[in-house]
Amino acid sequence: MPQAMPEALEAVLERRFALSTSLPATFFEHEAPRIAEACWAMARRFHQGGRLLAFGNGAWATDAQHVSVEFVHPVIVGKRALPALALTNDSATLSGLMAGGRPEMPFSEQLRVLARPQDIALGFSPDGRCPNVLAALREARQMGLLTLAMLGGDGGLLSQEAVDYRFVVPADDPFIVQEVHETLYHVLWELVHVFFEHEGLLQ
Amino acid sequence: MSADLETNDQAQGSEYDRLFYPYLFAGGKVSLEEVLSQVQHSTLEKCRDVIALRRATLATAREALLAAAQAMARAFAAGATLLAFGNGGSTTDAQDLVTDLLHPPVAHWRPLPAIALTNDIAVVTAVGNDVGFENIFTRQIIAFGRPGDIAVGISTSGNSLNVLQAFEQAKKQGLLTVGLAGYDGGKTRRSPAVDFCIVSPGDHIPRIQEAQATVYHALIELVQTCLAAEKGRADSDEVRR
Repeated sequence: MPQAMPEALEAVLERRFALSTSLPATFFEHEAPRIAEACWAMARRFHQGGRLLAFGNGAWATDAQHVSVEFVHPVIVGKRALPALALTNDSATLSGLMAGGRPEMPFSEQLRVLARPQDIALGFSPDGRCPNVLAALREARQMGLLTLAMLGGDGGLLSQEAVDYRFVVPADDPFIVQEVHETLYHVLWELVHVFFEHEGLLQ
Repeated sequence: MSADLETNDQAQGSEYDRLFYPYLFAGGKVSLEEVLSQVQHSTLEKCRDVIALRRATLATAREALLAAAQAMARAFAAGATLLAFGNGGSTTDAQDLVTDLLHPPVAHWRPLPAIALTNDIAVVTAVGNDVGFENIFTRQIIAFGRPGDIAVGISTSGNSLNVLQAFEQAKKQGLLTVGLAGYDGGKTRRSPAVDFCIVSPGDHIPRIQEAQATVYHALIELVQTCLAAEKGRADSDEVRR
């Protein structure tokens, strides 16, 4: 392959990093109060024996797995292990439920069978329009779970009232939406633990 | 909402929390408002940290990023398959990289062959149980790697034994090797088996992972840009003929 236009490549690189260093600042500035509230709400659920159940499609399936491993096996020594499960890990059940061709599958059915009322549901949808993520969050709400949605774009079809905590990264670029989601769930995980140091706040 | 409470022995916090959140333990009383406000403060601090780390990554690794992307594009153009691997959160990053290549998020991008070496839990547990965890990726490099393929290993410490060993095996088999590492790059940066090492010079694992996400997202976009340019040239040659 001939030397490909170095200026064009430089421009791509600059644009990518510019986006990744500008959007998080405005997002977290705006959302910090609700992030803190969400940490507190999650801590109370864990305190009641709840588990985190995470789900998303495509690239966001890896985020469901990523947030789960953070809770189960914290990288920071001394933090307690908390139960968290990615619904995307079970490829047998996943493919089995999806083979039926029903657009609301598979996550809502997995929740219906697996979830307990004190659990936490975390759904990812980069445009807020994934039918199976929306269906699962609806199911979770009905079952009494704490519900969190990490979305992108304009938030799509999920209204503010449909879940307990709805975080929308206002961008259409899937990479930056996902990167802000990653920092967001890392922060939730890191700071949920702060509340465990104050038993009185967990009642 | 103002659940004032006396701190007692149980509420004194871990050593970690006392170190990083000293304000929570400064007085005898902790109120919900105080904790929530400090959590907000920490949130913004973490956000500033990742922004700074991304800037530092670009400053340190600009040349390596551009060179690695061009080498990867040349390999893909010649028919390479990319093999990605890492542990823990870096595993999910490896899987993310793979799905972004195989099933690109941008309509006009070219789907590219890639395999995440942690997707097959039967293989991972079989090799880990029978031969040892340091061999879980090496074995699969032996099975899948062909000369000209691409091995991408992600390690926040830069020192994961199974990742380093996989690079060595990949190099022996003639693969292009690309490493993503945090801290000072660790053994990944010093390994002669790693062609390109992209270092995110941070010291907190969550932030390193977030910066590494930007790194491989940038690599994908750069690779696609190179391939599109190449295709453009090939198409115009076609028209001229």
